[in-house]
Amino acid sequence: MPRRFLLLVTLLTLPGTAALAQEPARVNYETYALPNGLKVVLSPDPTVQVVTVNVWYDVGSRNEKPGLTGFAHLFEHMMFQGSANVGKGEHFQLIERAGGSMNGSTANDRTNYYQTLPSNRLNLGLWLEADRMRSLAVTDSNLNNQREAVKEERRLRIDNQPYVGAFQQAIVSIYDSATCFAYGHETIGSMVDLNAASTADVKAFFDLYYAPNNAVLTLTGDFAPAEAKALIQQYFGSIPRGQTPPPVECNQPFNGGERRLRVPDAKATLPAVAVLYRTPPAPSADTPAIELLSSILGAGESSRLNVALVRDSRAAVAVQALQLGDQRGPGALVALGIANQGVSADSVEKLLRAEIARVSTEGVTAEELAKAKNTYRSTQIGSRQTTMGVAEALQTANMIYGNLEAVNTRFAPYMQVTLEDIRRVARTYLQANNSVMVLIAPPEVTP
Amino acid sequence: MSCTRLTLAVLGAALAAPATTTAQGYPTAPPVAGPVRPMPFPPFQEARLSNGIRLILVESAKQPVVSLSLSFAAGHAYDPEGREGLAGMVASLLTKGAGNRTAEQVSATIEGVGGTLSASTGPDFLTIGAYVLAPQAELGFSLMADAVIRPTFAQTEVELYRTQALSGLQLEQSDPAALGDRFMARTLYGSHPYARRPTSAAARAITRDEIVAYQQRMLRPGGALLVVAGALTLPEARRMAEASFAGWTGTAPVAAAFPAPPARSSRDILLVHRAGSVQANILVGNITFPPTSPQQYAARVANQVLGGGSDSRLFAILREEKGWTYGAYSGLNRSRGVGSFVATAEVRNEVADSSLREILHQMERLTTEPIPTPALEAALGALVGRFPLTVETVQQVAGQVSNSILLGLPADYLSTYRTRLAAVTAAQALEGAKAAIRPATAAIIVVGDAKVLLGGLAEIGPVRVVGTDGTEVPADQLMSASVDGPVLDLSKVVASRDSFAVMVQGNAMGSQVSEFSAAAGGFLYSDDTRIPLAGVEQSTEVVMAANGSAMSVTQRGKVQGNETSVVLTVTNGRATGKAVGPQPPAGAFGTVEIDSPVPSGTLDDNTVTAIVGALPWSANASWSLSMLSSGSGEVRQIQLAVTGTETITVPAGSFEVYRAEMSGGPSPVTLYVTVAAPHYVVKIAPVGAPIEIVLVKRTTP
Repeated sequence: MPRRFLLLVTLLTLPGTAALAQEPARVNYETYALPNGLKVVLSPDPTVQVVTVNVWYDVGSRNEKPGLTGFAHLFEHMMFQGSANVGKGEHFQLIERAGGSMNGSTANDRTNYYQTLPSNRLNLGLWLEADRMRSLAVTDSNLNNQREAVKEERRLRIDNQPYVGAFQQAIVSIYDSATCFAYGHETIGSMVDLNAASTADVKAFFDLYYAPNNAVLTLTGDFAPAEAKALIQQYFGSIPRGQTPPPVECNQPFNGGERRLRVPDAKATLPAVAVLYRTPPAPSADTPAIELLSSILGAGESSRLNVALVRDSRAAVAVQALQLGDQRGPGALVALGIANQGVSADSVEKLLRAEIARVSTEGVTAEELAKAKNTYRSTQIGSRQTTMGVAEALQTANMIYGNLEAVNTRFAPYMQVTLEDIRRVARTYLQANNSVMVLIAPPEVTP
Repeated sequence: MSCTRLTLAVLGAALAAPATTTAQGYPTAPPVAGPVRPMPFPPFQEARLSNGIRLILVESAKQPVVSLSLSFAAGHAYDPEGREGLAGMVASLLTKGAGNRTAEQVSATIEGVGGTLSASTGPDFLTIGAYVLAPQAELGFSLMADAVIRPTFAQTEVELYRTQALSGLQLEQSDPAALGDRFMARTLYGSHPYARRPTSAAARAITRDEIVAYQQRMLRPGGALLVVAGALTLPEARRMAEASFAGWTGTAPVAAAFPAPPARSSRDILLVHRAGSVQANILVGNITFPPTSPQQYAARVANQVLGGGSDSRLFAILREEKGWTYGAYSGLNRSRGVGSFVATAEVRNEVADSSLREILHQMERLTTEPIPTPALEAALGALVGRFPLTVETVQQVAGQVSNSILLGLPADYLSTYRTRLAAVTAAQALEGAKAAIRPATAAIIVVGDAKVLLGGLAEIGPVRVVGTDGTEVPADQLMSASVDGPVLDLSKVVASRDSFAVMVQGNAMGSQVSEFSAAAGGFLYSDDTRIPLAGVEQSTEVVMAANGSAMSVTQRGKVQGNETSVVLTVTNGRATGKAVGPQPPAGAFGTVEIDSPVPSGTLDDNTVTAIVGALPWSANASWSLSMLSSGSGEVRQIQLAVTGTETITVPAGSFEVYRAEMSGGPSPVTLYVTVAAPHYVVKIAPVGAPIEIVLVKRTTP
């Protein structure tokens, strides 16, 4: 059945799916800063018995220079290796023994550290963050040990898996590494650089980026603000302010012409195609329309790409479209598909491009736009259900979108996106001359 | 004070040392825990629908969402023999068209309101779930009811699913974790249906009639469990459920008893060969007990100490102390029938044997030595203390309630869980460990490159090697590198002295000069590298056999003022020696002993670029080579694949070259090799870095 006919049938039989009236509940918060520059955000919720202590440092792989890649991610590991009053590995132990959960992660723009604890252990979470901010143990043996853990992580997540390593290369390939090295290299970094890193390099990185004036501490969940403020003053107040880190530069031209890459992947059993289109930084006014378009293209069974490639033509075993954004530099809208047995990557690429081109010429339907808005709404409501979700939403609003209140004000623009907006962003960004096509190929048989 | 409160308060105090601090000064020790507020398990309500479905409601008005979950005793343990994957296929097809909606209409409807609808199977149960915003609750119920009562199972959907299932199984062949799980299940459960996993043969054989028959026989209201969580009251939930399921009757068939899992009398290793793996996935496991066993609390405490998280022995030793892995854990799996214990780790190849020994040692320790008090208290602190985190959302609460009912646990399980755990003593934990963990007869699965791993593992116990499809691979086939390696014709390599410049972002930062010549029945490779700005000076000498494989490696140098050296020899399939430099594992920039098995024909990593002339180059050639990283003793299977031809210019001139990608090594590299014979390298470019090593001059005698 041709797709257009199917859509018509759907429209006729569906009850009207207008965009629904609900909004995510308002996130209330208060904010202040210590004299040493540490920004604090408090958002209490007495209906739970947990508290999340969440710190974002304004440092990520975008702050790295050639020859020193992988530092921000390596650092995320180093931060759990002990400080003046916390033994090596003791951070994990103390949190687990208190019944808490914790982790950290590194992205292009920021590194976050968080723990969720039963409410009566708020002081432990705060104290651990303070101790490592003020006195992290940067030693030869910690560096060597965590360098090995990073290598194993690379092997586990990237080298030993099909598609992942190739996909990491694909994401990096949309950037011109000469003018936007900040985003044009992999977050996990090169093993050459990591092997060459000295303890002195790592200490210098820590002193510059892991300072209170470069950090935001957010608390959510069950706590009394007055008690929290007193503890924050007691633990963080005496940490000295650091220098202001240098700004990040990224000049990334768009529409410079199509790039095509072939990445062999010895672990892949089926070929895959990824097409990446450069998109503007997150705070751009076009971001809501781009994200909704990405959802229409590739989120869910009824998405354009799934219907065209998986269901109608059977060319792909799986497809997806996603928006790599939430950063202050340019991002990408990625459409990817894994070819079905016996189907060439070329066919998959042609079908992906054709679906994307149709959006530029024909736009999307009112039903699809309403669906994307409702999906966004549902996701936003869902993400506010946990203290961790609320903390991350506040941090993202503050650091990536430039103001805390964006946690509440970002929603409305998504609901106001029009059909013409969708078509406009498709025509502006989803063009071949603004794209990188990456073919991920299983190795050909030896002659 | 109730027993629970007393125990929890004592635990809280015991776990924190007093901080030494003046009033408002910075504490030099972790601060003491505040008082614990008693927190009972959140309330939930229950009702029985007129058609026999048991309804549970966890009500919360906090967020305007409703989640629904309907479970039937129809999991993949009920797949008939030869039809493994049938239950999973039925589950996936339930949402692909039902009532008067096609698959597209179902997905457009649920996604149109921002909700989700999906079904899946576990070993015991088939579950369909829906998630919607509260105003669409009725739609959620209605779509779910349609899916289970009147699915269409259109032939086109069946065929589409079949194609995807076959592709999915092909993808799984390259997923080491999925392979490990599949082989462990088969080994532990034997002819018990928990052993079954989908197969391609079954996927091809399943017919639409069989799918329909399964749904009609197995998905009945009598015996099913419906759990609703979110912003609905009990009367509302009942009304919607009764309306949606109206007219649907019947009781599920009584399940036949499953055969017992095989008894094990010895420990053995199954090595699943996955060529080119850079890690080994290790799984060590055994059968345990039914979910109602009184040993479960003690066993859970013991498992927590062994591998429950990052504060556990396996993590602390294998990752933190030795740096062998990104994570090592153990877990107790519960099913309706008899459960299992599995310890897992993904480790780099050359420490696979040591890691396995350590895992077994820790399992033995746990089953013979009582847990010391501090470790016991730490485990209890984690297991009991985490309770508030496990009930943060209403969906989490619903999941726990559902789980306890489906596993057949007693009615007071949820409300007494923490108390029973907190009461476990060291003596009881030891008994629990013995009941749950059996190192002497454990099943061991290792997924990785058998060529590299076999030697070390064979010294731990008898090893059987199979391919990813389960067929035997004779051991003698593995130890010769020519199984899938290229035939290297070293006579085609011309003796030469090659001088390269090291360029970083277009600037010359250093140099490398290498020499290759025939010597003493084989070859000699040497190089001298200097990169002043990075503080690197290094000289290397490799003695090579006639087939190019490394016989000895000597390297001396300095990296940023620190002396580095490598001295190793390869004899009888083993590399032994010493490396000094930035090294694994337990310590500093220091010495490491190298002692690793090495397949015959393995090249030293320093010499790969020197012997490209020995390979049969063509526009779509690709090869797999065994390579030794002499700086660490690691052996890897690297892939070298030609991706195209181009013309490039380097200081030595303009050349038509093959562009070849080398992967599977420490980091991916692109080599540019002359098209004209004798072939040699004119440029090397590590992928993703602004570095190029370019030929300046080549001299041949």
